[in-house]
Amino acid sequence: MEILHIENLTFTYPKTKKPAIENIDLKINSGEFTVICGQSGCGKTTLLKLLKKELAPAGEKSGKIFYCGVLQEELPDKKSASEIGYVLQNPDSQIVTDKVWHELAFGLENLGVPTEVIRRRVGEMASYFGIQDWFRKKTDELSGGQKQLLNLASVMVMQPRILILDEPTSRLDPIAATDFISTLQKLNRELGLTVIIAEHRLEEVFPIADKAVVMDGGKIIAGGAPREIGEKLSEINKEHPMFFGLPSAVRIYNALGIEDSCPLTVREGRAFLEKHFSPEAELEMLSEYKHSETVAIEMKNAWFRYEKDMPDILRGTSLKVYGGEIYCILGGNGAGKTTALNVISGLEKAYRGKIIINGKPIKDYKGNSLYRKLLALLPQEPQTVFIKDSVREDLWDMLEILEIPKAEREKKIAEISQKLGITELLDKHPYDLSGGEQQKCAIAKILMSEPKILLLDEPTKGLDAFSKLNLKKLLRGLKQERMTIIIVTHDVEFAGETADRCALFFDGEILSADIPERFFSENNFYTTAANRMARGLWKYAVTCGQVVEKCKESKGEAT
Amino acid sequence: MKAFSDYHPLVLLVYFLSVLVAAMFVNNPVIGLLALLGGILFCIMLSKRSEAAGNIGFYAPLFFMVAITNPLFSHNGVTPLFFLNGNPVTVEAFAYGAAIAVMVIGVMMWCKCYSAVMTSDKFLYLFGKAVPKLSLVLSMALRFIPMFKRQTHKVSRAQKSMGLYSSKSFIDKIKSSMRVFMAMLSWSLENSIETSASMKARGYGLKGRTNFSLFRFYPRDGVLLSVCAVLLGVTVAGIITGDTAFYYYPRISELTFTPLAVAVYAAFGIMSFLPFMIEVKEALKWKYYISKI
Amino acid sequence: MKKDLLALLGIILIIAVIINGTEIQSVDEYYLTHIDDITPESETVFITIRCDTILDNLDALDENLREFVPPDGVILPKTEYVLRNGDTVFDILDRAVRYNKIQMEYQGAKQNSFGSVYIQGINFLYEFSCGPLSGWMYRVDGEFPNYGCSKYELKDGQSIEWIYTCDLGRDVGAEWFNNLGGQNK
Repeated sequence: MEILHIENLTFTYPKTKKPAIENIDLKINSGEFTVICGQSGCGKTTLLKLLKKELAPAGEKSGKIFYCGVLQEELPDKKSASEIGYVLQNPDSQIVTDKVWHELAFGLENLGVPTEVIRRRVGEMASYFGIQDWFRKKTDELSGGQKQLLNLASVMVMQPRILILDEPTSRLDPIAATDFISTLQKLNRELGLTVIIAEHRLEEVFPIADKAVVMDGGKIIAGGAPREIGEKLSEINKEHPMFFGLPSAVRIYNALGIEDSCPLTVREGRAFLEKHFSPEAELEMLSEYKHSETVAIEMKNAWFRYEKDMPDILRGTSLKVYGGEIYCILGGNGAGKTTALNVISGLEKAYRGKIIINGKPIKDYKGNSLYRKLLALLPQEPQTVFIKDSVREDLWDMLEILEIPKAEREKKIAEISQKLGITELLDKHPYDLSGGEQQKCAIAKILMSEPKILLLDEPTKGLDAFSKLNLKKLLRGLKQERMTIIIVTHDVEFAGETADRCALFFDGEILSADIPERFFSENNFYTTAANRMARGLWKYAVTCGQVVEKCKESKGEAT
Repeated sequence: MKAFSDYHPLVLLVYFLSVLVAAMFVNNPVIGLLALLGGILFCIMLSKRSEAAGNIGFYAPLFFMVAITNPLFSHNGVTPLFFLNGNPVTVEAFAYGAAIAVMVIGVMMWCKCYSAVMTSDKFLYLFGKAVPKLSLVLSMALRFIPMFKRQTHKVSRAQKSMGLYSSKSFIDKIKSSMRVFMAMLSWSLENSIETSASMKARGYGLKGRTNFSLFRFYPRDGVLLSVCAVLLGVTVAGIITGDTAFYYYPRISELTFTPLAVAVYAAFGIMSFLPFMIEVKEALKWKYYISKI
Repeated sequence: MKKDLLALLGIILIIAVIINGTEIQSVDEYYLTHIDDITPESETVFITIRCDTILDNLDALDENLREFVPPDGVILPKTEYVLRNGDTVFDILDRAVRYNKIQMEYQGAKQNSFGSVYIQGINFLYEFSCGPLSGWMYRVDGEFPNYGCSKYELKDGQSIEWIYTCDLGRDVGAEWFNNLGGQNK
């Protein structure tokens, strides 16, 4: 049964000429799991918001949206509120009330459901989602994953028939994100719920989706079963930027162009590779890692805890980062990676041990001297870097504080924006930028102090694949300028592609720092999807690019 | 401390108000002492063991200070001990000071228990009955405030780690917190836009909104409420007839033990030890259940 | 927080003691008053302390104060005392109550806005003890002076009456005293 039918939908925001979305035709059947992908700014969010009339933005709209055969405008308010569920991106800002149970009941209160019925429905929902343990907690005490789960549950309690989700996992760490996606899958499978989800992280969503829709520039450029998407994309453009966002298996398959059905998961990808290629006869030797002689950061046996009677977070942590290298610290959630970064950046003080920055102990840097032309930290949420109403004002403010003469400021701003490609963003409000743009502008701001060491905390959180690629290029470029970069991240794919060396942070210590090829090939679970697929054939192939290269090499040998 | 705070918020409110009013306005040492003892017992049940020592360290000196202050300013009383600057310092003034100290500390104890038992959601519930919109607004505010605090902390740290505003000078500090605050204003606006989107998406603004709460009025709530009413009635009767009247000035009057006065003491005693008794009863019940299992 | 509160209270207490002074007398010392013998040459004044208005307003009086109201309303019958040089009404009252061991509480001249000693209570009968308009007033030779008792210097032969009023002086014949709320402003 057709539950949603979009007919020739075009929408233009006020004061803009170009439509945000154009001529969208889409049919969604009841019980389907549809994933919408595309770069930031491709019109996904606009399309999703238009599907829910309460959230439809103001602007010029043409075309029709039918819900169960009824024109959207004619849908009763109550029905629209309860049957079309909508989950937004930010887990924090969509929580309305202070208690978990109240949040769950909020929607039903609005619908005017009597107390006894609310009690039953809320109880049912809480047990289905496993919320009973934190049912009476304050919403503020929840983790990010729990918050997003609560948002989902408080929509589900209204018994919707369609669930629309706008990048629900982009602010979550990978484990919470995987949990969230599998909950969605469960809802889809067990309740026959129709799901429409816009996502960046396709590795998990792609295999479970019935239909994938790729958008670009406000139009649907490809649509169909996930297995066909790759081919449809290559028909348009072999090097389409959207490829970077697709799961590793799909990317490798499409890059090779072998006639076979498209693999979606690691398992399928592995089978696919093993079917077409044979293992390498002798193990390739990895070249020795060459690093510079200078040591930019050294941490010796650092111990840290937040309060006297709290457990240690750093337990004799040691690390050595050489000048001009990109060093990735990977590790699970809450392991203390961020804390380690804060200790290196001087925001927290280790109570034992030594931290030496550029050959000088950190405590010998008085006042602001550490942060002037030496070290800068990009926090997890780039939003927190901005405090003015436009990017330009923020950069100007930074230069003012750095006591750069007024005459030079404009020039400096122009220089950096050219370098990072943010010239068009300068006059926008920082909060109006997409995640990737915010990130770039934030980096621009912290680069103003001309640091030699750059610390990044989870820089890929909430970025689409294309922005990640840009970030990688940017960091590589900075490395060329002899900048030392430390990245703390969950994102193994990004670390595999970007880092010179990777290290695992576990139990307050930094373990096994090594080049990505060796680091990931030694790991069984904590490694990239491409490596998991190809490790039986080529142990040291970590990135999709490396796997494809190896495939092409061995093909060349074969012929 | 579970059994007592699980009663219906309305019952709890009535209970606390009656104990507090009686403790504050009945000028009788028996009532005062009963309120103090009940409050202390209740507080001990509510708090952790480690806090107890610190509390004694605070309340004991406070008691003496309040008790000593009174004779310095009040010189009434038939039994002078000595004369200070030509004014008598009397036994009665000391006694009255002690009585005030008992009352003050007793009331403090009860207020402490009140804030521990009457959590914000209970308060909101009682309030929300009267003004439904207001209770939602309060609930949203309680949600927003900690989030705002956390974000402020994040922003100011981010600024610090860029080497901004980390100088020690006071003016700089004020300036920087002003800037952060301004940034937080636009953040709040941004945040509230998304919150209101989420509210609209879930049908806020539709007609006939109901108010849900987790609290239910069980029969035992009714029982406790009527017990409270009876005890309060007896206490009020004692006050009206003057059977519990007591004077410190100029001569400390003798405690009266008319039948009604004894009834009032008993009633108030039961009232102030009620949480303790309920707790003990519950604990015994559990013990009994476990031994049966 | 809590410690700060305690410290604050302690400091207030100490300051209060310092301001009030610390002249400590035992009970016997306080009542051991030397009364000059009346000789034919000495100048004398008369003092009476009465509270008979309370007898008409017993309902308004706190129950526990009844025992301190003499049946005839006279706390100190008319007594003659030697007038020392520069004695004020307050000096005579102070000497008389000490000699007769009558309780009396006053507010020192520095502690109120009148700049004069204010008598709060005599024989446990305080201002406001018998209704909201009650308190102590004094009269010299039948006239209510319009200023404080420690400012009124006495002359030979004058007669002081301390009278308890239950109605701002109206019940003791001080009509003009209406809008002034005490005995000695």
